[in-house]
Amino acid sequence: MQHSALTRGIIICHRCEKPASIKQDGQPCPRCGTHIHRRKRHSVAYTWALLLASMIMLIPANLLPIMTFKSLGKGDPATIMQGVLQLLEHDMLGIALVVLTASIIIPVMKVIGLIILLLTVQLGWTTNVRQKMLMYHFVEWIGRWSMLDIFVVAILAAIVQLGNLASVTGNTGATAFAAAVIFTMLAANCFDTRLIWDKHLEQLEVFP
Amino acid sequence: MTDRDLASTQPGKFWVCPECDLLMNRRAIPNRHEAHCPRCQSLIVSSKRHSIEWTLALALAGLILFFPANLFPILTLTTLGLSQSETIFMSVTALYDSHLFAVSALVLMSAIVVPLMKLLLMAYLSGCLLFHKPAPLLSWAMRSYQQLDSWGMLEIYMLGILVSIVKLVDVADVTPGIGLYSLAGLIIVTLLTSTQLDRHRFWRRIEQLERR
Repeated sequence: MQHSALTRGIIICHRCEKPASIKQDGQPCPRCGTHIHRRKRHSVAYTWALLLASMIMLIPANLLPIMTFKSLGKGDPATIMQGVLQLLEHDMLGIALVVLTASIIIPVMKVIGLIILLLTVQLGWTTNVRQKMLMYHFVEWIGRWSMLDIFVVAILAAIVQLGNLASVTGNTGATAFAAAVIFTMLAANCFDTRLIWDKHLEQLEVFP
Repeated sequence: MTDRDLASTQPGKFWVCPECDLLMNRRAIPNRHEAHCPRCQSLIVSSKRHSIEWTLALALAGLILFFPANLFPILTLTTLGLSQSETIFMSVTALYDSHLFAVSALVLMSAIVVPLMKLLLMAYLSGCLLFHKPAPLLSWAMRSYQQLDSWGMLEIYMLGILVSIVKLVDVADVTPGIGLYSLAGLIIVTLLTSTQLDRHRFWRRIEQLERR
């Protein structure tokens, strides 16, 4: 069972999953019109590029304030971490954990996860291949949930508009944070898990 | 004829795991059964009963719920006689007023435009497939739906609402509006649509219709 469809001359459309002959590599899929490629093109390079972009954006995302909560004219812009600490001060441990997880822990774990997957392909770390597939599915699924903090800023900015009494405005950190989230989502999309299996099979041939 | 030639001349006889590229013999999957890849365990086929009927019904229900979810207030904040309501679109304009143009465009896309587009595409597609009507843009609609799928973020917006309620509870009275209940319904319907969608069946039907 250790083989791949590619070595038997079959490739599939990555959009509609229709199998095609290797001779159709680079041509449009007869069913859905997407161009068929044996593997996602430049997968490793694109994933690295988007991952680096998101790592860079995570720095201003965490250092710049994402929103300002003003009550009776008082209140300073707060970063993500300060927002979490404010929640802790008000004894809202549960919600502080949710925000901490979605805004800080998940983005960092996603970046680490994708780096491990990329190094798996490039350096041939093909032990525990199934665990790595699980890791990829987790990274792919969890990515969108980091948008939580952006939506919280959007909702609070819309609802807390009571003039001098209380008001919320968004700050530039939100743009950097949104960009970081989008870049990691795109990076996960660009990664082709089949490359891990290709490497795995290659190594099985060398060290059977 | 080598093994390789045999396979590549009849690619339709096989399944290929999109995650690990394992080649499998194609076989019929009975309704309400799933096929997983024996090597990497990822889901290959999930055959649903009445998949087309269900997705059409759910997409129409979603379209009906979309309007109250967007037009009626989701939350109302009251304190010292002042009150302020919020709809999804107002959270877009509030970000715009804070000069966060890119973020407001992102919220507009992920909380309003993409969910609406997904419902419209699915209603059109499953309607045409159900009545066997060869219509233009069928494969475009299915392709766009699959591409948009992970960019609709209503369930995350909902979690954002819950976090906001908790944050505001000390400051003022927060009351949920009709918009919030409609939004909850819309999220359930959207999630059910994606679980009832049997993409292999849809693509086969599209292929049959477009061949005529």
